[in-house]
Amino acid sequence: MRTLRILWRIARETVIGLRRSGWSNWLVISILAIALTIFGGVLQTTLTIKNVVSSWGSQLEISAYLKEGQDPQTVARTISQIPDVQIVEIVPKEVAWAEMQSHYKVAAVNNPLPNTLHVRLSNPAAVEKTAERLKTIGAIEHIRYPLKLARNLNKFRQFLEIAGLVITASLSAATLIVIGNTIHLVIQSKQREIEILSLTGVSPWYIKGPLILQGASYGTAAATIASSVLWVIHLYLDPYLHDQLLSFLPMTGVLADNGLLPTFMVVLILGVAVGAGGSAWTSGRYIKV
Amino acid sequence: MIRLQNVYKEYNGKPALSDVNLHIGLGEFAFLTGPSGAGKSTLMRLLYREETPDRGVVTIGGINITRLSRGQVPLLRRRLGIVFQDFKLLSNQTVFDNVAYVLRALGVDELDVRRRVASALAIVSLEDKVSAFPETLSGGEQQRVGIARAIVNGPPVLLADEPTGNLDPQSSLEIVQLLERISERGTTVLISTHDVPIVNALRRRVITLKNGQVMGDVDSGVYEYEAAVR
Repeated sequence: MRTLRILWRIARETVIGLRRSGWSNWLVISILAIALTIFGGVLQTTLTIKNVVSSWGSQLEISAYLKEGQDPQTVARTISQIPDVQIVEIVPKEVAWAEMQSHYKVAAVNNPLPNTLHVRLSNPAAVEKTAERLKTIGAIEHIRYPLKLARNLNKFRQFLEIAGLVITASLSAATLIVIGNTIHLVIQSKQREIEILSLTGVSPWYIKGPLILQGASYGTAAATIASSVLWVIHLYLDPYLHDQLLSFLPMTGVLADNGLLPTFMVVLILGVAVGAGGSAWTSGRYIKV
Repeated sequence: MIRLQNVYKEYNGKPALSDVNLHIGLGEFAFLTGPSGAGKSTLMRLLYREETPDRGVVTIGGINITRLSRGQVPLLRRRLGIVFQDFKLLSNQTVFDNVAYVLRALGVDELDVRRRVASALAIVSLEDKVSAFPETLSGGEQQRVGIARAIVNGPPVLLADEPTGNLDPQSSLEIVQLLERISERGTTVLISTHDVPIVNALRRRVITLKNGQVMGDVDSGVYEYEAAVR
């Protein structure tokens, strides 16, 4: 019961501290929310790319687009002779066109699509070697295979991770400074209370607890805002991106949806850590008990 | 109750206390006197562990407080009552809430808080001021609130650092007499002061510090040593 009463008093002191901080609360929450939104966005994007890359990377398939006037059957037979080739599936341009028309609104124009061969391999290590070999076949206009795209996407993901990390770290540092100033102001306004409590033997945790909780509240509020923004972006942007990726690379099939919950959790943990950590550091610096 | 053995403390190479040896018994009442810079405040800060000595031992109730860890310091302070010169009251809280403030922070049950606060306010004769705010009280009354807060937790030791420094002579006398009455209830009371009339009026034990050293320790003494060493 005693512990509960102390916790209740700490919560009460936290609310008093938040009231005293006034507009500074919103400044801290805004900056932290921006940092967390960027962090969450980068995290979600890199997770999605990782998923795509891993699903593409495991697909042992090469798409070969034939030149106009080439006979798919003949080319398929040639390709079948190549070692490690397991199956060659012919997708006539009429079939591809009909499928595209069933999925998308396309203008009534002549079919621009080429005949396509989907070459499935038996050995993952042979993907690049076979791709190089296919390029040498004169009847083939262009080839595309997931592994190559996966590599490019991976490069993009690495860049995104570094850029996201730098931006998040910079904004987090800015947030820490603002949190530090805000908590310092609260400490100054509570100087007398802190002195009385300290000299009368009240636990340091009772004195610092409300300040740390105040920081954690900033983190929670900012994480909630950031998660809401990410959810709205996910809601409106994801279907569009999904369609774009499918049209770009039809053979990948349906993309796996990561879900936003893990990202929300990480954003919340980071927000609370930055908020509470900043407050704890400031209270440790200015309150000597 | 309070014992200092060969205590030495310096700031920036200058000794603030030098080889101080003192013993103040349980329930004893003593004045700690001396001119500004004599080391009175340093000695008080050592007692409530705001500072630690560079050498020597300070014990309160048989516990060597110089060896306490940071986590143990609050436990020591719960056994001390401290009265300040500037009262240190919370202006936005009533007399009752000021006295109850620390008890509530320690998680004491509200019924017990009410009982203990009422008892402490009765001792300082402020039962009729429970709902008043500090700014509506006289200096003497504010100091009595400070004393009520210091004794509300029933500490065996009461330290008063210049408690009459901001008060008129009449209020000063009332405050010191109040502290004397508290001592009679079994609390060890040490008052740091350079209030000559008060010390001379009470004729109690007087410990005189000068340049960080104990220059006099007299039972039923008066504040005359300072004049002698000036």
